[in-house]
Amino acid sequence: MSATRPSQGDGTSGTAILLRFMLRRERRSLPWWLLGIGVLLAYQSAGSQSLYDSPEKLARLRETLGANTATIAMSGPRELLATIGGEVVFEIFAYLAVLVALMNMFLVVRYTRSDEETGRAELIRSARVGRHAPMAAALALAALANLAVGVVAFAAAAGTGLPAGGSVLLAAALAGVGITFAGLTAIAAQVFENPRAVYGAVGLAIGASFLLRALGDVGNGALSWLSPIGWGQRTFPYSGDRWWPLLLPLAAVAVTVPIAVSLQNHRDFGAGLLRSRPGRPTATAALGSPFGLAWRLQRGSVIGWTVGVLLLAVGYGSFGDSVEQFIADNPEVADYFPGGATDIINAYLAFTIAFLALLAAAFGVASCLRARSEETSGRAEPILATATSRSAWLGGHLSVALGGSLLVLVMAGLGEGLSYGLAVSDLGQIPRLIGVALVWTPAVWLVVAVAVFGFGWLPRIAAIIAWILVGYCSVVTLFADSFDLPGWSTNASPFWHTPQAPLESVTAMPLLIVSALTALLVAAGFAGLRRRDLGY
Amino acid sequence: MVSGVAYPVPVTSAISVSGLVKTFGSVRALDGLDLEVAAGEVHGFLGPNGSGKTTTIRVLLGLLRADAGSVRLLGGDPWDDAVSLHRRLSYVPGEVTLWPAITGGEVIDLIGKLRGGLDRRRRDDLLERFDLDPSKKARTYSKGNRQKVALVAGLASDAELLLLDEPTSGLDPLMESVFQRCIEEVKREGRTVLLSSHILAEVEALCDRVSIIRLGRTVESGTLTELRHLTRTSISVETKRPLAGLESLPGVFDAILDGTRARFDVDTAHLDETVRWLADLGVRGLTSTPPTLEEMFLRHYGDEVAVSEEKE
Repeated sequence: MSATRPSQGDGTSGTAILLRFMLRRERRSLPWWLLGIGVLLAYQSAGSQSLYDSPEKLARLRETLGANTATIAMSGPRELLATIGGEVVFEIFAYLAVLVALMNMFLVVRYTRSDEETGRAELIRSARVGRHAPMAAALALAALANLAVGVVAFAAAAGTGLPAGGSVLLAAALAGVGITFAGLTAIAAQVFENPRAVYGAVGLAIGASFLLRALGDVGNGALSWLSPIGWGQRTFPYSGDRWWPLLLPLAAVAVTVPIAVSLQNHRDFGAGLLRSRPGRPTATAALGSPFGLAWRLQRGSVIGWTVGVLLLAVGYGSFGDSVEQFIADNPEVADYFPGGATDIINAYLAFTIAFLALLAAAFGVASCLRARSEETSGRAEPILATATSRSAWLGGHLSVALGGSLLVLVMAGLGEGLSYGLAVSDLGQIPRLIGVALVWTPAVWLVVAVAVFGFGWLPRIAAIIAWILVGYCSVVTLFADSFDLPGWSTNASPFWHTPQAPLESVTAMPLLIVSALTALLVAAGFAGLRRRDLGY
Repeated sequence: MVSGVAYPVPVTSAISVSGLVKTFGSVRALDGLDLEVAAGEVHGFLGPNGSGKTTTIRVLLGLLRADAGSVRLLGGDPWDDAVSLHRRLSYVPGEVTLWPAITGGEVIDLIGKLRGGLDRRRRDDLLERFDLDPSKKARTYSKGNRQKVALVAGLASDAELLLLDEPTSGLDPLMESVFQRCIEEVKREGRTVLLSSHILAEVEALCDRVSIIRLGRTVESGTLTELRHLTRTSISVETKRPLAGLESLPGVFDAILDGTRARFDVDTAHLDETVRWLADLGVRGLTSTPPTLEEMFLRHYGDEVAVSEEKE
């Protein structure tokens, strides 16, 4: 960290003060990441241990999963399946690793590139603070956060009855993935001028890590060693406890941090190594309307969600064919699917499409709430000072939210239909499953409508209301059957009232009721916006 | 000081606000504000930070709803007729936030189209005069350049009313003078401007009339000449005979006496009688400095300054 040129004095002075300040700024968001990671791990650990509670069941599982390429690609190396602890790592580690990597990416970007872009860092750097101090403090913050991840992961694993030694290794492996991506983010933050480009580059690196380990785990394992996620998985916690791969993240940090420091010495404050290209000097005709603006602002996220859900759907669909065999081997798993073991393929398709529909609702809420962030940032003001009515302005954003979530649903059906159809040699599955996915449209739109209503009447808490609803619908949809949730607790979810095609037959009445409610909430939301003050 | 604000109501008023009240929770941002802007005039809107200038402009734009009082804008109601009125006005905010990935040129075109049309020749002319590169993405603009984007977007229209909220904050002196020339042209075309500003030289150069507000209330309004009458002239004088008794004349303040020489301030209302009194002593030399806008400003803004003056 102290690789500064002597002529510049101490490049890291002020780091300790900055770190304290960053910890203060993080006190609201960091705990949620840790909680999420801990809960996911504990849930998986408890679930796996109760499902596969005998050596015979574990052996059967090893046979099914170990032979299934799709599962290996989505999870991890089959060596992990030796013990129940290893099975937990097999199922959840790759996803936890992606979460931890994202957490590190956001932490480091927030206190380096974002602060520089907004000008906050300028104020800080004008004080007695070294050139490298913000980055040093951000990396120290990331290190502390990864330590906390380790503590939480150990507590979740050991607390649910897994052996202590393997739990320490699992915790260290997760923290290792985190610190590796913190170092990579520090480099990307020097290269690109704006935070979005940094997120894009690091996001790509995370995706590539997942893909490389998937290819490696399916093949001979060589490619997995190119992936930080692969390094973590190949410590084989609970199923061999191999410690030396932990050296790889340390080596990565020893390489990435000096590179980032040296890159920072070669660039101006606020600039990146890659300069941003000039754009259009005049607007195209497409930008000249509220919808045109909303689309322009959100097209990146629409494309991202669409492609992401399509890939996920292709993954789920490709697994569909082997579900039957898998369930025959592991009858307990059937409890997670509506309708139990009968008609298991349809149950599987219904369940996964329901999950993708929840993602469509999450997209719709995020997209609709964009209007709120436009309002609070002051960017809506110059638009609403033109001959653009409030309704037309909100209508622009809402069109993107509704149209985009519809597109995400189509992608869910298309992806599952395509890969499942190829597996069973019946491309008629594509229109069939697109139809199945579209049955969720009223429910998804109702969630968006609640966000619109909140925006119109309770703008300050609209985001909280909408996201709580998404969370509630997710819990009800994903867990109500397996946890036997009481009827009253599920009734408020529009997802609960949507028939789970193709398992259940589609009836019009619930869809019509949900649609009517959607229209009512949207109309009320617009009415609320028309009568309230803007900008607060 | 004039309170109660009695000024002649113009024949056609572009903006007519009386008794405007706006509260946010327990904060009374506007507390009975009055504002009259005649059609075709450039009206200066002055007040310290937090006095309610931006809130007033937001009410005029129909973004905020007035709690009490009457507000007319171009003959319409800014809340009910927002969309149709907005076709006839253009707005330049003081704090410009733009979309990071959209270029300045695109923002200017977008705002122009949404208002209902854009004069392309005027747009290109303004870009050149303000020396703004329209092909840069907004995230790369400095504060001054972001301000220029908003100015070009606002001035490129042929709107009959311009609402400008501290439009030159962040501009360098060269660009400030470009801005002043643009406003002079707008004025020649007979259009109306409400100019909220902190730059007094700008207001003195451009404005026909000014309104000064403080704590959400109008404290003075009128032409600059009228307002000067309400304040004090600084006089420095030398006479043949000693100036004894000067300090006790009505309307004389802050007198510094040195035998036959003196410096003092006098209320403009008492200027005539004071000069007659001086003439009787035989005036050898006299310089008088009319009050600057800045002095008027300070008298209304600085509580401490005002209080200490009153005590003396």
